This record gives sequence, structure tokens and C-alpha cells, in this order.
Amino acid sequence: MSTAQPQPRAVTGADYRRRQTIAAWTRTGVILVSSVVLLFYVLAPVAWLVSSSIQTEAEIVSVPPHWIPEEPTLQNFRAIFKATEEEEVTYENRSGVDPAAGGFIPSTAQNLLPAMWNSFLVATLVVIFNLLVGVPAAYAMAKIRYWGRNGSVYFILITRVIPDIALVVPFFLVIRKLGLLDTISSLVITYLAITVPFTVFILIQYFEGLPDELDKAARVDGCSRLQSLLRVFLPLSLPSLVAVVLFTFLTSWNEFLLALMFTQTEASQTLPILLASFTSDFTISFSFINAAGVLAIIPPVIVAILFERYIVSGLTAGAVKG
Amino acid sequence: MKTSRMPSMGRRQFMQTSAAAGALGLAAPGRLALAQSASPVNLHTWSAAVDTVKSHLTAFEEHTGIPVNYGNSPWAQYREGMVTKFVGGAPLDMMWVSDAWLPEWAEAGWIAPVDDFDFLMKYNAEAEDFCTNSMTYDGRQYGLTYYTDFMAFLYDEEKLKEAGFDAPPETWDEVVEQSLVMKEKGIAEYPMMLAMAQESWLIEFMSALVYSHGGRFVDDNGDAIMQHEGNGAVEALRWVVDGVRKHGIISPACVETGELSGLKAFASGNHAFALVAKYRLRMLNDPEQSQVAGNVKQAMMPMGSNGAHDTVGWMRFHGMSAQAAADQQRAENTAKLIEWFGGKADGEYKFQKLLFLDIGAGFGVKPLFEDPEIRAAYDAYGDVDMIQKQQAQARKKDVITPWFGEWSETNGSAWQSAILGNVDPKAALEKSAELWAELKSEY
Repeated sequence: MSTAQPQPRAVTGADYRRRQTIAAWTRTGVILVSSVVLLFYVLAPVAWLVSSSIQTEAEIVSVPPHWIPEEPTLQNFRAIFKATEEEEVTYENRSGVDPAAGGFIPSTAQNLLPAMWNSFLVATLVVIFNLLVGVPAAYAMAKIRYWGRNGSVYFILITRVIPDIALVVPFFLVIRKLGLLDTISSLVITYLAITVPFTVFILIQYFEGLPDELDKAARVDGCSRLQSLLRVFLPLSLPSLVAVVLFTFLTSWNEFLLALMFTQTEASQTLPILLASFTSDFTISFSFINAAGVLAIIPPVIVAILFERYIVSGLTAGAVKG
Repeated sequence: MKTSRMPSMGRRQFMQTSAAAGALGLAAPGRLALAQSASPVNLHTWSAAVDTVKSHLTAFEEHTGIPVNYGNSPWAQYREGMVTKFVGGAPLDMMWVSDAWLPEWAEAGWIAPVDDFDFLMKYNAEAEDFCTNSMTYDGRQYGLTYYTDFMAFLYDEEKLKEAGFDAPPETWDEVVEQSLVMKEKGIAEYPMMLAMAQESWLIEFMSALVYSHGGRFVDDNGDAIMQHEGNGAVEALRWVVDGVRKHGIISPACVETGELSGLKAFASGNHAFALVAKYRLRMLNDPEQSQVAGNVKQAMMPMGSNGAHDTVGWMRFHGMSAQAAADQQRAENTAKLIEWFGGKADGEYKFQKLLFLDIGAGFGVKPLFEDPEIRAAYDAYGDVDMIQKQQAQARKKDVITPWFGEWSETNGSAWQSAILGNVDPKAALEKSAELWAELKSEY
């Protein structure tokens, strides 16, 4: 009995093209699915934040959760934006409501916008002072050869190795001696101590990547050191400057520990402190705190979107030298 | 190349000018603030009932003419912030203190006893005993009550009726019995809600279970008795372990459930029974915040075989800093402010009453139970007589010592370990008792 052996079929051009098409579709499908999963992973918490900010407290705790609110309400936002003149709080005009009372708008809701302003002011001042101090310092360290230059760079870096918590008490003593407790100046000073080393480090790396010949040419043409920095180096350093601005702004905007220690009234309290204060020893209003969270993320998101194209190039500035 | 001439300034001159301008600019607000102050009392609290506090301060300033600087910090970080302020010498006169921090703060010399002020001590006659005891350390009293509360046993009346029961359980055995029926009928997967996660609430849950089983963690001399059969702690832990592992009426996830998550789960209608702070009753019966509003009732704490309806009470109080006590005038003014908040203001317990009416925080003085406004407010969501009866059986936590923090973590882990079935309840408590004895001898 003879059996016919199946002959291997020759791979034709059509088969090859079909396989190529399948592989391309598979690749596209995998990328698409992965992107969707990643997108969901990243955006789901933000979506829930926004959704729950317009839900009632009872709806938030419902099982299963309502991603789309059945009874949307803007009462949390109304409480935040309710414009009131600052007046003495008396028995008669006290809000008398806190989360445990059923009216789950904390009595300090109206402090949210002033706290946002404090955060913005602190962050902006820190950015400005960072640039004023960090840019000349980095230029000097990158382009002027002097004795102890390497040592000073390492010394600046070492200051970032010390954990912030270890600095709290020494900072507190200094701030108290200066009479700056409960002022935004205390935050500006201490945030500078944290952010300036990073600023200097990033800018040194970037300035070192720019050819020394540029500096020399500017000097030959009669520029002073300051003019060389302002007219030659700064225009070329935009990506790293943006990275510095972003880093210092976001660090100052989000900083919690030092603000907790140095501020105690609405005159100086920043957003992270006020947000934390909405969680009391009695209870927490998820819907209100999420509404506050929505407002809190808006400024950093705007800043990040505006400077997005500079971020990566700025942060990797000087990472690889050509 | 044509260049414009920039104003020239030497490096040294630039540095000097910048430093001087910076120092002046930054120091100015602080100097101004100092110039404006006129020996005010410095009050620092955590951020609760802020408007209520402010309104009461306005009245105090009008009444006495003593100005008050009021500041607050978030509750979760309050203790750490205060420790920094104490160490850093920040101006502080009066502050809120938790009973759990009293030994630490008193031993460190950060707060001072107030029992030299007779006009403060007279309020003890009308205060709940556990409140006065909770403010007392080493024989000295450190303040007057800010608010107090106790661990309550709550139940969902609708679920109870659905399961065919007319009355809530009287004993922990009856809790098991009723829960098993609910489980069988599919009313709740885990009828009993216990939050046994490692957090600050854990000691309150454990103490309520131990006290209601007729026990204590330590005896009058402060020696551990928790490890002995018949002293309540072993029986309490065994009940929890059986509830999780044998009967399946408590979720095994209870070791990861914090008080707030447990509360929200109860508010969602997932459970029939819950051990939560009494003040939660208000939120649980509020339709704006709870899916089971109107159905949540309070019963006396169930009893263990050798127990009673005892529960644990806790409190926060208005304390005086040691720096205020060191100055006679400051101490006098601070004591007046403490009385205004913790005692009577204009002849009534105004602040404790306001606090209750505004945010539902419990009061520590018995006469307020007879106040018509308070009775009416309580009746809107609870049974005031039941609350009064249970509060009378509240006892202070017996483990609050300078070494409490160190011991608490190990003790919590031991309970969790037993609940997860990794160790026998008695062995778990022996480990806790061993550490207690070791720490006590070290301190």
C-alpha cells in the first residue's frame, strides 16, 4: 500500500503578502489594545475624580459605582466659588456645617481659592528667584574655571541627598528667628533651598554642552560675562530653562511637609495643606475633596500642556555629550 | 559688532545689594506681624469645626478683651506638626490634645497640668469619669474636654427584620447567631463589619471588644493581663477569629479595612452590624450620605460570656503648653480660654453644645443630656437615652502609656496574624504581653 506524502506548498508572493498583512494588523491591534489599556490606567483615576466631584456623597458610596452621575450637582463648586466678604465669624453667621453634620461642605471651603492664590504666588516667586540665582550660578560653574569648581558642584549636589524631613527642625528654627512663621516668605525661602541645587545642576549640564567658543567669541566682541550669559547662552537654553521652570513650579505647588510646619492660618496656607484639612478627625467628604482636587490639578496641567514639547529635551539636557 | 552699553555693577556690589534687599523684603512681613501683636493667647488646633471655633473666639475676645491668635493644621499631620512646633519653640499657649498623646507630651514637658486652677477643676463634678481619667497622667490633670465619644454597636434594622429578628443581639453569641441567618438568607455576605486595619482607630475597636468581654489589657498596676484566659482579651480575639475563619460572618479583608472604609461600606448597605464611633450615627442616618439612612439604630454593646455592655470611650481635650504655664499672666489668660472652651462660657457649656449641634461631636459633661435642644437634635437620628446609657458605661483606654506607640504596632500585628489564621489567639496575645512587659521595664 502506498501512501502519498503531502508535498510542502511553495510560499507564493500572495501568501507572503497575506502574512505580512496579518502581522501588520496584529502589531497594530496589540499597540491599539495596549494603548487603550494604558490610557484607561492613566485616565481612569482622573475621570473618577471629575465624575465624583459632581456626585452627591450618597451616590459616591453606591455599589456598583456610578461613573456617570445619575444626579449631578455643582454644590461643591458653588461652595468654593461663593464670594463672601471677609467678616468676623460670630455665633449667628458661622457656617455650622461640617461633613459629619450632613451638609458635607467643610466650613473652610471658601479658603480654597485664597489657598490656590497662595500656592500660585509661592510657586511663581520660587520660579523667579530660582532663575535669578540658578542661571548665573550655573553659568559661572560651567564656563568659568576657578579653584574648587568641581568641589562646589558636588557640594550643591550633596545638599539634595539630605531628606527634607531632616531639615524641618533646623528650617523651623531659622524661620522662627526671622519672625516669618505663618508667612509665605517662609515657604519661598525654604523652597529655594530645595530647588536651587536642582536648577543649578540641570543648567550646568546644559551650559557645558554649549561650545566654549561661543563664550569666547562673545567676550572678544566686547560682551561682559553677564552680557554673554544674557545674550548668547540664555536664548540657546530655552528647553532647560523650561524644565527648570516646570520642576520648580510643580515642586512648590505640591510641597506639603514644610508648608505644614510653617503655615497655620488662611493668610499663608497653601493648597496641599487646605486639601488635607478637609479630612478631619470626624469624617471625610469624598465628593467635596474631589471637587477641590479637580481645581488643584488644573494649574499644573495647564503649565505642563503649555511646555510639554520642551519637557523631555530639557530634562535630558546634557545627559549625552556630543 | 555694535553693542549697547548695559549699566555696570560690580559682582561684589551686586551680591551685597541683592542680599540686603532680599533680607529686608523677606523679613518685613514678620516684623510687621510682631509689631501688631499685643500679648495674644496662641491657640492651635486641628482643622475641625473651624467656623465654630472662630465664632466662640470672637465671643471670648469681646467678653474678656484678651486677643487670640488662632491657627490650625490638618488632623492627620497635627501631631507631627505640633512636635516640631514644641521642639522649635513656636509660640503656643493652648492646643487640642488627644488622650493618646498625653503621656508623650507630658513626659516631654511640652504641656503642663492645669489642676492648680480651681476654676477649671470644679467642672470635673459634672464630667464623665472616663473623660477626667483620660486627661489625667501621673496623678495630674492636663485639661478640659474638647469632645468625647465612644465605640458603639450599630445595626441595620431593616436587615434585622428581613432576617426575622425583632430585637438586636444582646450578646456576641447572638451576633453570630443572627449573622448566620442573614448569611444563609443572602441578606449580607459578611453581616458584621469590623475594621481591623493598622491605623489609629484599631486600639479603640480592640478595647471595645475586650471590655465587652469583661476584660482589660492591663491591671491597675499597669501589668499585662491580656494573655490570660478569662481576662477578656483572649476571648475577644477568639470571637473575631471565629467570626472570620469559622463562621464567615466577618470579611477576612477586615485586616485591611480602615475605619472610614468600613463606615462607607456600612453606609452602602453591605453589612447589618457595625462597630463604629457613636458620632457616625448621624452620618449613617443622613440620606445625603448614606444608602441605609433611617434604618441604622444603636444597641448596647453586646456582652461576652463574662462581660457587660461596657465599651471604650476616648476624648480630646484643651491643654496648656509648658511655655504658657511658665509665665503667670500667660497661664492665667490661657486657663480662661480653656474654661471658655472646655467649661462654661456665660453660664453654659456653650462650646461643647455648639460642637454637638454643628458637627455632631459628643460632649463630656452629663448636664447637656438634659438640654432640650440637644435631646431634639439627638432624637432626629438616634436614641438619646440609649446614647446616654452607653456613654455611662464607657471606660478609658487602659494602654495609653509612653510606650503605647511601640507596643500598639506589635499588638495590632499580633491580632491581625491571629485573624489570618497564622497563630493561635492566645499565642498572639502572649507575644503582645511579652512586649508590653519588656517596654514597661525599659521605661
